[in-house]
Amino acid sequence: MIIKYFAWLKDITEVEEESIEDSSIIDIETLKKFLNKKYPKLKEHFDNDNIIRFAINFSYTYENDKIRPKDEIALFPPVSGG
Amino acid sequence: MIKIQKGDFIIDEEINFIKSKNLDVGAVSTFIGYVRNLNNQKKVTSINLEVYKDMAYKSLEDICLKAQAKWDIIDTLIIHRFGKLNIKEKIVLVAIFSIHRKESFHACNFIMNYLKKDAPFWKKEFYNDNYEWLENTRLTD
Repeated sequence: MIIKYFAWLKDITEVEEESIEDSSIIDIETLKKFLNKKYPKLKEHFDNDNIIRFAINFSYTYENDKIRPKDEIALFPPVSGG
Repeated sequence: MIKIQKGDFIIDEEINFIKSKNLDVGAVSTFIGYVRNLNNQKKVTSINLEVYKDMAYKSLEDICLKAQAKWDIIDTLIIHRFGKLNIKEKIVLVAIFSIHRKESFHACNFIMNYLKKDAPFWKKEFYNDNYEWLENTRLTD
């Protein structure tokens, strides 16, 4: 799967996007666990009232949605457009 | 029509282009957002707008379809810029075309609320000696 990071999340991950293949990632919660290990600084933001939003294939997730190997996942902080 | 672009645009030309295809338009409601020089008591020098373009196109097209299902409108136009913008520059244009004004007022407000709350854009605001990532916290901003 492709993971994309936006705004200040990129300062933590130091990459804009990456390809991850890991059989333990089957849904949003398992992806969070994986990313907590890879980027420990993300954990406080995951724990902070779900401030980080997830999108799968350009649509917001509102539950612990399933993730398929070819999905594009985006992580981002609160938006500020308009 | 959705446009996500770096460059500036001329409002009249954009509106006239859509009006020229729809002779039944009797009302156009617009919202134009600009970069202002002061925010949260800080002097702003410029902003950098980041966008998740693929999702922005999809989500803005979806919200325009929702507006068209909700109100009797003829066409919608959203232009949102990204990249570096200086103070006074235009950030966004939302224009709603309808026969009568009421529908276009409502739809314009509906789309702007979505843009503020959910559209995947992020503003990095620059001051004289530092910067800050902004968050839209109030829908009235």
